[in-house]
Amino acid sequence: MNALELKSKFAGYVFDEISVTVKAESLVGYAKACGETQPRFTDPSHPDFQALPNYPTRFHGTRGLPEDFPIDMVRCFDAGKSIQIHAPVRAGDVIEGRSEIADIYEKTGRSGKMLFIVHRMNFYNQRGVHLATVDWRLVQREFD
Amino acid sequence: MILDLHTHSIASDDGRAKVENYCQWIARKSLPLDGFVLTEHRQFDDDSDYRSLEDEFGLLILKASEVETEYGHVLVFGVNDDLRARFDFSKIDNSLATVLEESRRCGAVAVPCHPGRPKVGLCAHWEVRGPVEGVVAIETLNGGSREGENEQALQYAEKYGWNRIGGSDSHIVSHIGRYATRFEDELANMEDLVAALTRGRFDAIQPESPRSPG
Repeated sequence: MNALELKSKFAGYVFDEISVTVKAESLVGYAKACGETQPRFTDPSHPDFQALPNYPTRFHGTRGLPEDFPIDMVRCFDAGKSIQIHAPVRAGDVIEGRSEIADIYEKTGRSGKMLFIVHRMNFYNQRGVHLATVDWRLVQREFD
Repeated sequence: MILDLHTHSIASDDGRAKVENYCQWIARKSLPLDGFVLTEHRQFDDDSDYRSLEDEFGLLILKASEVETEYGHVLVFGVNDDLRARFDFSKIDNSLATVLEESRRCGAVAVPCHPGRPKVGLCAHWEVRGPVEGVVAIETLNGGSREGENEQALQYAEKYGWNRIGGSDSHIVSHIGRYATRFEDELANMEDLVAALTRGRFDAIQPESPRSPG
């Protein structure tokens, strides 16, 4: 299948969901591992204590791609993540992460043709507040 | 007038530079650029409006596209609705002949970029697939090229009498202005740029030392 056909079949629906309870220790540990020193990210007693903005990028679903997605992982590599922050993550939040394929496209580079798959996770808290959108790009190379 | 004819912003899927940050960098480093052209991958960016940045920084900021063909990547200057109806900017296997001819017919100019680069440059495909009519200029100075690639592009330009443009191919802020194009005429908009590219009154350059402030 080409990129358009794959996108038509596999993009635009939620294929995986996870639920995680966020603990203060996890937020502190993550912030310190990132070298953060601001107390609103490292001190649970701070009145505005919250997760470092890129915290949701650490979550993974139970699967990276929808079932039956035709992929050859030997030819694949990670092409990075991006995050849009909508609201802060707080200690005690029960976060739901919902995965979908946001985009599939082809491009060419020095190494030849590549297929880009954009895996998008949207995160919501227990009040339905949209917290973040994380895009993860997976690239499948075309071997010569 | 000196313009970087090949840059990418966050509108490109692999771009990491915001246009405002390009402007700030040019000002802070006193780069000898009068402006730049955003050549976003496989699309024309309808949504962005950079006129306020032009006014704030005194730069000419134009929008164009980098499309993909069976002969490699091509910069298209003067994109308009007529041209976008002629071929699919998002495809990776457009016909170079079609891109060149339809650009010409619709009042635009198509210029093969990084022609010396493997797989996505004109030169390698030219040898295998044969010549294509309609090439008038190529990018002989590309800021992302590896050793030998710009040199090969220059050889082709000299052999076939093609005009030469330069551009940084920047995807991050600090790479803008590595190479550029010097125009003999003052340019105020894309129509002026297309006219200048058609007339051949320009050359690829490596910009010199930063300009003196003030």
